[in-house]
Amino acid sequence: MRTVVNTAILASAGSGKTFALTNRVVALLALGAPPERIVALTFTRKAAGEFFDEILKKLAHAAASPKEAEKLADAIGQTGLGPADFLCLLRRVVDAMPRLNLGTLDSFFARIVRSFPLELGLGGDLEILHEHAAQRERRRVLRSLFTAAGEPDEAQREFIEAFKRATFGLEEKGLADRLETYLNDYAGIYLAAPQVDVWGNPGRIWPAGFGPLQATLSLADALTALRRQVDGTASLRDGQRTRLETVIADATDWRPGAPLSRPLNDLLEKVVAQLEELRAGRGQITIDRVRFSPDPAFAAALVAFAEAMIGAEFKRRLETTKGLFALLRTYEQRYHEAVRRNGRMTFADVERLLRPDAGGPLLESGLSAAESDAGERRLAIDWRLDAQFDHWLLDEFQDTSHGQWTVLRNLIDEVVQDPEGARSFFYVGDVKQAIYAWREGDSRLFREILQHYNQTNPAAIVEQELNASWRSGPAVIAAVNRVFSDHGALSQVMSGGAVTTWSQEWRTHTSARPSLKGVVEWRLAEDQEGRFAETLRILQETDALGRGLSVAVLVEKNDTGSALADYLRRQGGLPAVAESDLTVCTDNPFTSVLLAMLRAAAHPGDTLAWGHVCMTPLGAVLAEQGVTTPETLTRRLLREIHAHGFAATLEHWIEALAARLDPADAFSRLRGRQLVEAARDFDELASRDVVEFLQYAARYKVRDADTAAVVRVLTIHKAKGLGFDLVILPDLEGGFGARRASLAVKKAPDRSVSWILEVPNKVFADRDPVLTQYKEEADAQSAYEALCKLYVAMTRAKRAMYLVTEPVADGSQSRSFPRLLRETLGEGYTEGDACWYEALRPEPSAIPSDLVVKVEAPPAPARLPARTPSGTERSVLNGAQVFALSATAGAEWGTAVHALLAEIAWRRPGDGVVASELWAQADAAVRAEAQACLEASALEQVFARPSEGVGESELWRERAFEVVLDGHWITGICDRVVIVREPGGVARRAWVWDFKTDRVGDRAGAVRAAERYAEQLRLYRRVVAKLTGLAEKDVHCGLVFTRIREWVPVG
Amino acid sequence: MPSPGIYLRVLPWGEMLPQAAAGWLAAGWTATQPLDLSEWLVIVPTRQAGRRLRESLAWWADQKGQAVFPPRVVAPDGLTSLLLPPVRGDYPEATRAEQALAWIEALQELEWERFPDVFPLAPPTRSFSWARGLAARLMLLQTTLAESGLRMAEVAHVAGGRSEVFPEEARWRQLGELEQAVDRRLAARQRQAPQAALAAGASAEAVLPSGIRRVAVMATPDLAPFATRLLQSLSTRVPVEIVVFAPEAAAETAASLFDPWGRPRPETWVARPLDWPDFAERVQLCADATMQAARMVDRVRLYPRPEGHIALGIADPDVLGALEPALKRAGITSYNPAGRARRRDGLYALLNALAGFARGADWEATTTLLRCPDVLAWLETEGRAESGAEFSAVTLLEQIDALESDHLPPDLAAAQHCASAQRPDGEYRRPRDAALAALRSLEGLRKRLVAGSFPENATDVLQTLFAARSIETDSEWFASAAAWTETAREVGRALEAFDGAARTLGDAWEFALAQFGERTCFDRKRDGALELNGWIELLWEDAPHLVVAGLNEKQVPETIVGDAFLPEKLRERIGLRTNAQRFARDAYLLEALAAPRAGSRGRLELLVGKVSADGEPQRPSRLLLRCRDAELPGRIERLFDEIRAPQASLPWTRAWRLTPPPPVWTPRLSVTAFRDWLACPFRFRLRRVHRMRPVALDKAELDAPGFGNLVHLALRALGEPDCRDCTDPRRLADALLARFETAVRSLHGDRLTLPLLVQFESARQRLRAAAEQQAEQRRQGWVIDKIEHDIALKIDRISVTGSVDRIERNEHDGRVRVIDYKTSDKGDSPRSTHLRRLGKEDDWREPWQRVPDGSSELIWKDLQLPLYRRALLADYGAAITCAYFTLPKAVGETAIMEWPELTGDLQAAADRCADGVVEAILAGRFSPVVEQSADWDDYAELFHRGAAASLQDEGGASA
Ligand code: SF4
Repeated sequence: MRTVVNTAILASAGSGKTFALTNRVVALLALGAPPERIVALTFTRKAAGEFFDEILKKLAHAAASPKEAEKLADAIGQTGLGPADFLCLLRRVVDAMPRLNLGTLDSFFARIVRSFPLELGLGGDLEILHEHAAQRERRRVLRSLFTAAGEPDEAQREFIEAFKRATFGLEEKGLADRLETYLNDYAGIYLAAPQVDVWGNPGRIWPAGFGPLQATLSLADALTALRRQVDGTASLRDGQRTRLETVIADATDWRPGAPLSRPLNDLLEKVVAQLEELRAGRGQITIDRVRFSPDPAFAAALVAFAEAMIGAEFKRRLETTKGLFALLRTYEQRYHEAVRRNGRMTFADVERLLRPDAGGPLLESGLSAAESDAGERRLAIDWRLDAQFDHWLLDEFQDTSHGQWTVLRNLIDEVVQDPEGARSFFYVGDVKQAIYAWREGDSRLFREILQHYNQTNPAAIVEQELNASWRSGPAVIAAVNRVFSDHGALSQVMSGGAVTTWSQEWRTHTSARPSLKGVVEWRLAEDQEGRFAETLRILQETDALGRGLSVAVLVEKNDTGSALADYLRRQGGLPAVAESDLTVCTDNPFTSVLLAMLRAAAHPGDTLAWGHVCMTPLGAVLAEQGVTTPETLTRRLLREIHAHGFAATLEHWIEALAARLDPADAFSRLRGRQLVEAARDFDELASRDVVEFLQYAARYKVRDADTAAVVRVLTIHKAKGLGFDLVILPDLEGGFGARRASLAVKKAPDRSVSWILEVPNKVFADRDPVLTQYKEEADAQSAYEALCKLYVAMTRAKRAMYLVTEPVADGSQSRSFPRLLRETLGEGYTEGDACWYEALRPEPSAIPSDLVVKVEAPPAPARLPARTPSGTERSVLNGAQVFALSATAGAEWGTAVHALLAEIAWRRPGDGVVASELWAQADAAVRAEAQACLEASALEQVFARPSEGVGESELWRERAFEVVLDGHWITGICDRVVIVREPGGVARRAWVWDFKTDRVGDRAGAVRAAERYAEQLRLYRRVVAKLTGLAEKDVHCGLVFTRIREWVPVG
Repeated sequence: MPSPGIYLRVLPWGEMLPQAAAGWLAAGWTATQPLDLSEWLVIVPTRQAGRRLRESLAWWADQKGQAVFPPRVVAPDGLTSLLLPPVRGDYPEATRAEQALAWIEALQELEWERFPDVFPLAPPTRSFSWARGLAARLMLLQTTLAESGLRMAEVAHVAGGRSEVFPEEARWRQLGELEQAVDRRLAARQRQAPQAALAAGASAEAVLPSGIRRVAVMATPDLAPFATRLLQSLSTRVPVEIVVFAPEAAAETAASLFDPWGRPRPETWVARPLDWPDFAERVQLCADATMQAARMVDRVRLYPRPEGHIALGIADPDVLGALEPALKRAGITSYNPAGRARRRDGLYALLNALAGFARGADWEATTTLLRCPDVLAWLETEGRAESGAEFSAVTLLEQIDALESDHLPPDLAAAQHCASAQRPDGEYRRPRDAALAALRSLEGLRKRLVAGSFPENATDVLQTLFAARSIETDSEWFASAAAWTETAREVGRALEAFDGAARTLGDAWEFALAQFGERTCFDRKRDGALELNGWIELLWEDAPHLVVAGLNEKQVPETIVGDAFLPEKLRERIGLRTNAQRFARDAYLLEALAAPRAGSRGRLELLVGKVSADGEPQRPSRLLLRCRDAELPGRIERLFDEIRAPQASLPWTRAWRLTPPPPVWTPRLSVTAFRDWLACPFRFRLRRVHRMRPVALDKAELDAPGFGNLVHLALRALGEPDCRDCTDPRRLADALLARFETAVRSLHGDRLTLPLLVQFESARQRLRAAAEQQAEQRRQGWVIDKIEHDIALKIDRISVTGSVDRIERNEHDGRVRVIDYKTSDKGDSPRSTHLRRLGKEDDWREPWQRVPDGSSELIWKDLQLPLYRRALLADYGAAITCAYFTLPKAVGETAIMEWPELTGDLQAAADRCADGVVEAILAGRFSPVVEQSADWDDYAELFHRGAAASLQDEGGASA
């Protein structure tokens, strides 16, 4: 195979990333790479699916047309390949389908874990936990922690202690809520940095030491000293004195961690600003609008006061940070043992498990381990996975997290450094579209990897750039260039670091479709309502849907999306779909009341639930079926749920309730079906717990179907990777403002966590250079991400883009998107052809119609309702009988007796012990009962050869039959049938004996029992008549009761 | 190589298989007597196929007015027990339960260091659950190996004994040792593993069952190696006929298509193109499971009585989720012959609840059990027997909820304590009699549940619970109960033998429940119900119109990749079924489905899904891509096309508007009710007039009122004589805490859950801070005059009642102050809790609700303190002021927050507002409904897209 070049592609929006990726795969195939040795990974399942389809179609086109083949051959740099070659590749891919590794990173990692559970220290097979299941596990762990009653055990005491430390000074009355917040916000951070010395460790945060922590005076002493100065300084004005007294009083009441009162905050800020001067005995501060120059003693007191405050605050933050760690650790350890190690993991857990530092030693190979060892391990991996990975392709690389990369790095290292060059690495991404930092997406990796490998071998990876957009026309590209290349304007809205990073990555874009007509317009509206209205106006003006164009409206948040989609449907009658996850069980009146019904049944004290039911037609529906009170509801529903599960129960009521809906209300009916689907999923868990189901239903989400010819309203995040003819951006009011996290997590260049600290109040944090620097970095990062988001939003349009924002005040300094637009585009901006849409007409659609054809051939002959005679058996037992454990009760006993009697051919009482292996091995009690039957003179007729016949007597034992009677298929087994034949072989009469092992006490009991079996025996009679050719009257039936050794005839 | 006694026969596939098979077996029958096939042993691929065959035979004979003595019909997995009866002297075969326990025991006692290649890392906490899970996994592995008649120890030998390297040799050697250890454990109990018997039997002669003189393998395309070995052994004594359902052709062709055992040859079938001229019509791409289901329903609807005319096949079980409900909605009864696991039985839920209760009577387990209808029914009979009183499930469950919400008991014992305890202030008491009686009954039940040993104790409890119940033996419930009893019996025996494996009662329950839950139950098929058969069953289906859904990769052909024990390469080496063999089988099946339905004889439709129900993209089965080269691009185009769901998402519509009942009540108001009306008149109506209140479910800790209540109880101590004049914070704190402990003990007992421990710790800290504050206030001269003082006030015809936390008088200047304790986290001032700025949404506020404030306006949120003041004016005079004594979470901010402005004009404004509220209530005005954020709204579940929009106009709300 020829050498393949390792490649990194920086692909601007619309520049053909997928195109490049699929071409790369085709090129590898054409070079002879076996398809199953190519690993191509991306983030979403949808993208992975499309990616695969694209490869196949590309090959199929080339296989079908010489022209396409030539084009493709050129594109992959292997001219000369023709349709036959591509057909051959196509066949190879198809044949290798089950072994292909084209999918998501998540599923790839899960696959590895599935193949090596014991090697990774798991207890069982991997079970991926999705949202509900993860929540359930978490709840279970918390419960186990919470409810061990009595004296708290050590873990619990530790937990309480940790909680107190984490919430020091705040007497939280709610543990559960607080804890939930902590776990939601910080569990991920803990897992990334489970080392104790990272949390609230001043040595790591301030390696050179931090002054205030060693403050000489306690706050109380500092305040006393300050009070002394205030009292003793005559030059203070009255107002100033009062002011300072207030400050001292406030400071006395203040506890570290609490917010500061206004006066206290003001003074502290001023003192902090002048700290150096004051220390030197100089400095001036304004108190009560008048300058004041303290003498050196006063200045020293002020300094001591500030330092004591700062010191106290920081000490407390360090302390709570450590408490937080202890809290998270207690919980996590328990969770880890109870859940993860038993193989129940989220995708994030799976990835963490595979990291070399966490337990994925298995994947360590290549350079890190000794050569021979590595070879062996590699072999084990290949063996177990039925695979060998030669070529790696990673998509959307800017969204790859450092954790993911560390897992992959082990496998990819040796590929990049393969001396033969027969293996390869390819990654593609756009660091200008890095909008997943909150999900650990790490866009810096892109360059770092390039530098890392190229450092030792300059040509290890070749970098390419794609900046021509195959998506957008010239109007859109012109606007994009104007906004994103304006260094000056960007500097006005973003921090310097972010602008620099951006400008390094920015390249002027061009449109590869110069003749595509379109427009970009910036329109203004007063408020949200106005922006919605303008959106609708644009859609109506352009009639884009009617012209068969794809249309998207991009918003910031899901909620805005649903509101806007609803607005467009209601006010404009447009088919608009909010592409967000819909909580279908609770977002509408129809299913809500059904859930209320369940709640009312299980928790009748919930008078709202019952009231809710009664305020809707469901009240009447229930009444119709006899449910008129909470009591009847509780009894009926709990029983239904218990017996049949939630889905079946709900189905029943939904059907009844749907009859009362407006016939045109397809929506509510759809929601009803979706609720049943949710219930079916839930029933899989075999739980009948109503509360748990309600929680499940409330979280159950469905994505609206992706259908044709609708206005798609979606978030910018979800629009990434998509393109539309017309894009409207009516939700750009956000901007570059900083986010303030309550926990500062400082990472080293290698992404390991250096330190963690709960962020102090602003006035304190600002004082500290370390925190200030941390904050600047964080701000730059979030500003950069914000700009990426705007870039993604503005590069979705193919033809036309309308920006709709609220006006920006003159001279505004706001760091917002609209301001950036004003600085770059200018108010009233339009570019391109305002009437771009006029010439566009929808293409006639060629939707294949679904042909429904009935088959006229004769039906399958035998599809008769089936019966077995024993199926007509029926008796009534009580609970004690049903659950009786003893072997002498129930079916086992009966089967054993039957088996022994089936061994008997002809016999008379007194013939002695039966000599048979089965008899010899049988349970003594069973054998005794069978033997007694043989000895009973009352049963002689059953077992003895009939004497009447002149011809032969025939005996059937346990004989199976299949008969059709009255259009029913009867299938079964006769216990014992005796047929008396004429000498010529013609049957004269027959006896059908059926053994019953019922626990009847006497003949009367037997006669009563026989009534129950009569119908069954009559069926046997008819069967035997048909099998023997006898008239029914010549077939006699008897029930043999083994317990009392008597038989009862059945007429 | 098969011996000469084995013959390959062809059933031409121009006809449906069941009829062809029946005809073949009946060849030569004269129809003068029943068709007697009892000397035949017929092997068919599955149970369901056997049923089809017998049905066909019955029909066949009936055509001639006769009946059938059927052949002995078995599926391959039944062959061992039929042909290899136990050898004398061998231990009997272990039951599944015994095998599992032997594994579990071995794993729990495992010295894993001795098996470094199986367990390179220390296994996790070696709990019973862990061992059980892993045991199940390893037993499955044993079963798979048994297909080739192999045991674990032999794998290393068989796979390694070749020229290629076998990288996992050590691992398999150790697995073999592990398996032998398990065998030894079984032997110690005089049992042997069934696989051991099988392996031993591999060399032994198969025994011909008595009466059998002919053997046929009918259309069974994937006979496992062990089965072929047994048949080979039989063939020396009787002819064994291998009958394949195949194209009509000379025997040589058959031999090129099938191996001598009737299995499709991979080398032929993998390459054989699927030449269907009507491919496009037969194979249809669907967006998802819903669309496939809809299409199937459409097809079924073509036939008035579908059974026999059309059959549905389900290659991807995922589709069933959409199909079953869709058929049901269309009024078509269907039947799933694959059955369902007993885990889904109602009885399982009860047993599961009992298991939880046996493990420990914590509160969750207790209430779960209590909500089982069978337990409620038992409690009803118990109650009636004891007191003869009427039993109400509602009363019981209400009391249980109230008990939970007031006391958060950790377990059954604590709950009984709480239910019988007196409230410390001796005040009102919600009845708890029903709860108490039920809890006591459960206590009794639990004693029996944990007494003695399993399963006897479980049986005892079940017999108790169902003692009064009559159960019909033909009910599904009975079948479920019988299955449980059988399981319990088997498990009981196994537990007795392996007494070390399940160490606790909980383990035993877990084990038995797992065994029970895995059992399959087959519901009775209703006459005429349409069967939903899986892919493997379809060969024996004979309806002329066949629609198969889910023809997607991974399902068909079934492919195994990356197995933790048996990767493909190993399967190949040790002779297990490989992916290639599965491919050949499925390729054959596909053609065999199409062939008898070709032309006008029938129709085969295959549906291919694009996206699975949970959103995973799917690929079409590559079986469909076996075609001539020229066709391949076209098929790719077609099968990998984009396709979208036909139904656009529907616009949101409102099913109905709510119709509240008419507001009939006798107005009575507490001072706190005013806040409700001011916040939202309509919600006031729901809460106060109709008394609709939600219950907080799944509470782990006290809610704000519960917490406040407890702190209030403690603060009463301040009114006691020793505290009144005390200025020592420490002594005050002691008094408060002592009172607090008493309150806690009587309300919650002495066993507390962790959240309560934390909450109470918080309360103690707040009380300590309160003690300091109290000392300071006393120093300033404030002396308590009254505590918990009831007030009553007549406004119009309504009496307004309330209870003032405390009234105090300053001994220096005689000022009087009304104090309300506040335990909310934030510690807001009285002014901010009573008044707020007028907002955009406040147009409806009447002038009497408003208070001018400079250029803007404020409105009343609450009237509590003004109403107190108004009520006390007569007794204390106009100098009275109001204040909060706040105990916020930041204990440093514990303070008295006065409201000096509440006099004169402001009081007058408040009075006007109170009068206005009363007037509105008397006039029955409960509108409008105020739009609130769902996060804070107790009534959020009632409202969708606007509260007002959710209500019918006559509900009294503005539209
Ligand atoms: S404290 Fe509990 S038990 Fe006592 S009266 Fe109140 S509610 Fe009833």
